[in-house]
Amino acid sequence: MALRDFLKGFSAQRWFTPKSCRPLPLVFSQFREVLKANNQALEIIADMGEKLSGEYLFDLRYVEATVEEMIAAMRRAIAAINILTQDQCAVLHEVFTPMEARVRAILNKRDDRDGLPLLWLNEIEDRHWPLVGGKAAHLSELLHNPQVRVPEGFVITASLFHEILDLNGIRPEFDRFEQLLSEHPPDEAMLEALRCLLQEKVLRAEPPPGFFATLTEALQRLAAGNPASLFLAVRSSAQEEDMDFSFAGQFHSVLQVPPRAEAVYQAYLQVAASLFGAKAILYRRQVFPEGSPMSIAACCQRMIPAQASGIIYSVDPMEPGSRSMVVVGALGQGQAVVEGQVPTDFFRLSKDEETRILERVIAAKHEALMPADGDDGGLAMQKVPADKIDAPCLGERTLLELAGAAIHLETFFKRPQDIEWTMGQDGTLYILQSRPLLITESAREKPLLSEKLEGYELVAADVGRVAQQGIGAGPAFWVETLADLKDFPQGAVLISHRDSSQYVQVMHRAAAIVTEVGSPTSHMATLCRELRVPCLVGVSDILAKVANGEEITVDAEDRRIYRGRVVELLTYQATTSMDLHMAPEFRMLRRILRNVSRLNLVDPLMQEFRPEGCKTFHDVLRFIHETAVLHLVELGRDDRCLPGGLARRLDLPIQAGILAIDIGGGIAPDAPRDQIPFSAIRSIPFRAILQGMLFPGAWHQETMPVSFRDMMHSMMTTPQDTLSGQYTGHNIAIISETYVNLCFRFGYHFNIIDAFCHDVERDNHIYFRFLGGATDIAKRSRRATLIATILEAFDFSVKTRGDLVIARTGNLVQSEMERTLDILGRLIGFTRQLDVQMTDDQAVARYAEAFLMGDYGVVAEKR
Amino acid sequence: MSETNTRLLVVDDEPIVGKRLKQVFDKIGFAIETYTDSAAALAAMAEKPFDIVVTDLKMEGIDGIEVLKRVRAMNPETRVIIITGYASPDTAELAEQEGVFAFLAKPFRLDELKQVIYRAIESGRAKA
Repeated sequence: MALRDFLKGFSAQRWFTPKSCRPLPLVFSQFREVLKANNQALEIIADMGEKLSGEYLFDLRYVEATVEEMIAAMRRAIAAINILTQDQCAVLHEVFTPMEARVRAILNKRDDRDGLPLLWLNEIEDRHWPLVGGKAAHLSELLHNPQVRVPEGFVITASLFHEILDLNGIRPEFDRFEQLLSEHPPDEAMLEALRCLLQEKVLRAEPPPGFFATLTEALQRLAAGNPASLFLAVRSSAQEEDMDFSFAGQFHSVLQVPPRAEAVYQAYLQVAASLFGAKAILYRRQVFPEGSPMSIAACCQRMIPAQASGIIYSVDPMEPGSRSMVVVGALGQGQAVVEGQVPTDFFRLSKDEETRILERVIAAKHEALMPADGDDGGLAMQKVPADKIDAPCLGERTLLELAGAAIHLETFFKRPQDIEWTMGQDGTLYILQSRPLLITESAREKPLLSEKLEGYELVAADVGRVAQQGIGAGPAFWVETLADLKDFPQGAVLISHRDSSQYVQVMHRAAAIVTEVGSPTSHMATLCRELRVPCLVGVSDILAKVANGEEITVDAEDRRIYRGRVVELLTYQATTSMDLHMAPEFRMLRRILRNVSRLNLVDPLMQEFRPEGCKTFHDVLRFIHETAVLHLVELGRDDRCLPGGLARRLDLPIQAGILAIDIGGGIAPDAPRDQIPFSAIRSIPFRAILQGMLFPGAWHQETMPVSFRDMMHSMMTTPQDTLSGQYTGHNIAIISETYVNLCFRFGYHFNIIDAFCHDVERDNHIYFRFLGGATDIAKRSRRATLIATILEAFDFSVKTRGDLVIARTGNLVQSEMERTLDILGRLIGFTRQLDVQMTDDQAVARYAEAFLMGDYGVVAEKR
Repeated sequence: MSETNTRLLVVDDEPIVGKRLKQVFDKIGFAIETYTDSAAALAAMAEKPFDIVVTDLKMEGIDGIEVLKRVRAMNPETRVIIITGYASPDTAELAEQEGVFAFLAKPFRLDELKQVIYRAIESGRAKA
């Protein structure tokens, strides 16, 4: 596709030019309204997000009241963008309505009821979590993790559970039972009678019409033409299971289920009925004394014909402070191991840089749990051949591979893990489950913690703000540019000057993050909370205090950073901090934020960047903001909308030929009518750009020699966009005190900068677009690459397509904004005619380096 | 910053508050006791004095203002901090009259509470 067509499509279909020309000041004030409404909503979301950091005490009333405020703010933002775009975003109302309904369902604790009855594990998204339960949600996360292997399968969802309750007339008893569980004290006799009744009724429940067909289809897909070898493991996945609570062994699992719809449904009913098991209810009453909504899903996965199976703890629970992990295993299926039916091999491994096996205790394994004979499935104990009885169940290589997976999962989930594994006949390792390892605290040691810590050297104390609570230790890893991220080691502490949402790439590997500037409400902070990465922001001078590679411990609870590895703190972390996530207010807020704060619409060049692609509140706000900015950008491009009489020439020491249109406070009131000097410019962002352009050496007056071939090329192929720009002959800046929309039509290229800048950092944005040139596409593309390289070095997010560069940044404090705009001003001058010199790919690196070093003269020298 | 000798009591009918504050103040070395029932908390205070009491305002039975009054009657040296989701000017004034040390609106940052508690300790020392 020709670039011209691409651009046409881009502007015509997505970023419509305004139909009628409204007065610019009016449009601008409508734009400000959009920003204001957007901001209120974002502030509320950020505020809620920050509460999850663990730094706050809040209650359910706070959650309820804040959700109402947030929904009202969203509605205002949607109204405002429709005023600005003259109802071109009307569809946002329809997009937002179901999102609002979902959040309200969470508040009413009803978010596990609507959805598909069956979901594939690899299709599960965040929004499905209430439907699929904790264990399945966790497994789906693992399934997307390329470093571990998880058996494939699907989930029978909580929505089906509720459908069955309704269909079989069990709902009234169920509701009564839930009610009783929240009473203090409940009628015990009634509770017990209902519990038994529910269990019995669920076991006999009829499936909804059509469900067997759905199930049969799923089983065929799973068998993939080879049904003979397919058996299933049907395991519980209750609401909170694995996420915050282990519920270990509380619910039923049915293993080696034959791949027939009736058999799987019967296994499912057994799992579902176990929600009402005596033991499970007792456990539930202990962990949720205030009651909680109940439902259960079931995870149906392919059974792995196991050579050996068992458990690995990523930390030795007996010695949480030590750097060792433990493995137990036996031959055959793991059920026998978790239920303690067979003697197991025991291994202890070191967790140092190089994993070593420290201890091996091999048991005499006379029996193993293996598939029973015949087609009906089931497992049975079988005799182990004599030569295998005393052999270790795992070889050294597999053991080390398993240890690697455990270390990876511990860093991934940010806490010690209790992992169920199995090894197939071909020696492949599978992870069946990974959940937080519960370590009981040794009460004797705790009160002494603060005294023990006194022995460690403090690098910093009472510094910065907590973005996410937690404790992490590892070697410090300096991130100076985003390119450093690709070398980020597993388990390191990320240290940098600024925060960046790009760090999300390494968060799964990071033990903690510390930045010198940043706020607990930034995108990065939100991501840290989502991924539970301990994070301190605003720790000034940390780069000066910590050497690259030096081991440190970050206590993002008491805002302290220690030199070395503080074992006592890590032990403390492993044995506590579970509580917080158990609290009902945290669970609810987390669920709400899952539907609210995640940002999926990051890239406006992607197909999904449309109203219908919005999945969360944040997506909607992002879309609104982008649409509002682009609306102004397009407006500035459209000559028909520029009132000629308003344009005033600037009198600058460089020949930039700029006309300024002031829509409010951009030019000093006492400035001359025409030929306005730099000193009279009041627009904060425009002034900063001009400052850069005027920077000594940055602006090149000389005309570059353009070859005949280059010239012909440009005349034949330059997009319409650029040509019309050239003939207009003016560079136009629409400005106000806080805003600039600058359209440069220099020679054969076309450059837009749209920036808003004042003292509220969240409002601030810079949009930069650069296109075209007089030379052939290879040279122009090289210049585009050069611009992209430079902008990336200044933390812009950049997209290039051929010779088109689109870059954005924002959410910066005013001083950073001004600095960045100044750089853009210099860049405009520096690269204005540089495409002519872009004769080879090395030129890109050479000029980028020169610009970054402040050597602007290189352009003139080259000639 | 060792506060090993400071005795802190927390009473709030929402279990999260006590659990959370116990974690936080245990870690930095306070001797902390937490209660969800104000009567039980008062009984504990009758047995031995506390330096600082953090109480919720709205609780079933004996509310925060009443806790404040009784604590102040039992031991005027004890500093009382009230934490609440609904701070009306009236109750704030009433609490002031009864000698509350500080009023903190929920939600608050744990660090804010820590700072208030440090100030309370300082003011206790200044008087002593």
